[in-house]
Amino acid sequence: MYACVYVADPQAGQQLLALALEFSPAVEQASPETAVFPIGALRTLIGSPYQIASEICRLGHERKLEANLAIASNPDTAILLARHFSGVTLVSAGEEHLKLAPIPLQSLFAYDTTLDPVLLEILQRWGLKTCEDLAGLPERGVAERLGKPGVYLRRLACGAIDRPLRVPAPVTNYEERVELEHALHLLEPLLFLLGRALGELCSRLRSQSRAARVLGARFDLEEDTQRLRANPYCCELEFPVPLDQAQTILKLLQLHLERHPPEAPVTAFTLRVDPVEPRRIQGGMFLPPTPPADKLQVTLARIAAMVGQENAGTPMLLNTHRPDAFQMTGLNMDAAGKSPNARPEAGQKIRLAMRLFRPALAARIRLAGTAPKAVTAVGIKGTVLRCAGPWKTSGEWWTSTSWAREEWDVALDDGGLYRIYCKLPVVKWYIDGVYD
Amino acid sequence: MANTSGLLRYEEFFKPGSSLARERPEPKFPALLLPALNPLLANGLCRGTIAEVSGQRSSGRTSVAMHILAQATACGEICAVIDLYNNFYPASAQAAGVELNRLIWVRCRGNAEHAIRATDLLLHAGGFGVVLLDLCDAPARVLNRIPLSYWYRFRRAVEHTPAILLLCADSPQAKSCASYSIELKPKVFYWTGKAPFLLLRGMEAIAMLRRIRSLSVALPVSSLQVMV
Repeated sequence: MYACVYVADPQAGQQLLALALEFSPAVEQASPETAVFPIGALRTLIGSPYQIASEICRLGHERKLEANLAIASNPDTAILLARHFSGVTLVSAGEEHLKLAPIPLQSLFAYDTTLDPVLLEILQRWGLKTCEDLAGLPERGVAERLGKPGVYLRRLACGAIDRPLRVPAPVTNYEERVELEHALHLLEPLLFLLGRALGELCSRLRSQSRAARVLGARFDLEEDTQRLRANPYCCELEFPVPLDQAQTILKLLQLHLERHPPEAPVTAFTLRVDPVEPRRIQGGMFLPPTPPADKLQVTLARIAAMVGQENAGTPMLLNTHRPDAFQMTGLNMDAAGKSPNARPEAGQKIRLAMRLFRPALAARIRLAGTAPKAVTAVGIKGTVLRCAGPWKTSGEWWTSTSWAREEWDVALDDGGLYRIYCKLPVVKWYIDGVYD
Repeated sequence: MANTSGLLRYEEFFKPGSSLARERPEPKFPALLLPALNPLLANGLCRGTIAEVSGQRSSGRTSVAMHILAQATACGEICAVIDLYNNFYPASAQAAGVELNRLIWVRCRGNAEHAIRATDLLLHAGGFGVVLLDLCDAPARVLNRIPLSYWYRFRRAVEHTPAILLLCADSPQAKSCASYSIELKPKVFYWTGKAPFLLLRGMEAIAMLRRIRSLSVALPVSSLQVMV
């Protein structure tokens, strides 16, 4: 059962909402002058629909609210009755069409503004004036002539539309601020408080079926004698996959703060997360298991804290012919989790791989004509047994990353097979790498 | 008769500690098949083990390691490369069949301690197919500093998991902790054309299986062709 309270004055919308919230937390306010709420749960608390209606009237009278009240088995009927009949209207289940019968068809179109006015003209041309007239038509015939909107209108006139309430989602604040009585110098007690705040934020996220993609942290620092007003320390962590576990986010924040600690003791902090849809994937039955996304993030963050952010990640080749052109990126779990590309030719033979020297080893080359004859570099010395080349490459002369070089593949008498190159236009020799 | 049957039951039930220690459940993960290494490893690489590929420069050790990574990533597994001296060449790995978007590359810039710790973290994180620890070209003084206990730790970390720790170095490092040890020696380089217009085509290496899990089989020696 649903109750609808209707006030003629749109200015009383806030009072109306406050009144409805006294009886139920789920309130649909389709327009400022209408509030609908369920009263099924109130039957055990207050009593019959008559008693509930009496209680609503009493509270409305106390608040000096002049309103109509209707109680019906579905929200649409309750709204239509409250808008059309003054005072209190109660309808038993199954008798909605009797009560709605005298309501003019214009009221239906005024209630649901999405309905096409052309439909009203058609119905008036048919000689229909009230809901009773429309409800008397056969549903199949209405469907054949007016389609889906016509059927909906007929069911509205019969009071037969049962739908859930359109309750607006509550606005959740995904920000947490903690002000400290004493400034904190050490990271460990700060992490304790950060963990508590993150726990609150993550429980809010989970309650709304959300996860955090970005965590913003702002730390207010203690004022000192040199700087009267210390700048707050801000940081922003972006996660490769949305997270909703406080422990994981706290660990990532800890690793960040250990690398970039605030300059002064912390007096207050604010944490903010940006809610996004959580990552939901279904693992394939015949796909190999992959590392858990949250655990992998923490592991990579630990490794990045150790070796440096730029030294841990996934290599991505750049769209250029420049030698050794790549970029380190984060592991894309969505791409990595997809089924692999079937390549039947892979695995049938072993391809010759190469190891690069970074930076390339400066070498002294003895030439015989244009071909290298002997190679000397740090840790490498030998006479050339066979060589292939030169392979001349150049490119990107229009940018600062231009290159021009002559490459040779040389087999030395030390057993190694190397790629050497001569950098142009300044003739300078380097050992690029070794075939291995 | 009653006493004898009772004794038999007692012996069946109670076992000495030594026999209990030998009874370890075998991992039930399917092995990583390596068709190009069939002469050496007909059944592929068992999961939950440490495998070593060793040899001098230009012996084909990196090519073999890339082949193993290529097979693992082609199956959809996520792999990792811990690169001690920043020698990993992504373009060459991709040409060898490695799917780079399933690869995590950790560059340790010559710090062996970082390499060992990164390996430890990745193995304990779990979910990886192959974790390659590249210690090639590391001098003996660096390798000798790695405590032997680490290899036991790694063996414990990978056993009963679908991961394979692949170790690539100049000489075998993991000793008895390694389940597979392949040693490579360069045999010949293939060139086509006539001097001075030569073209490198590939190489041939002698591959020797020095160690395998079940020691009862004869350890094979095979020649591997590695082509450009």
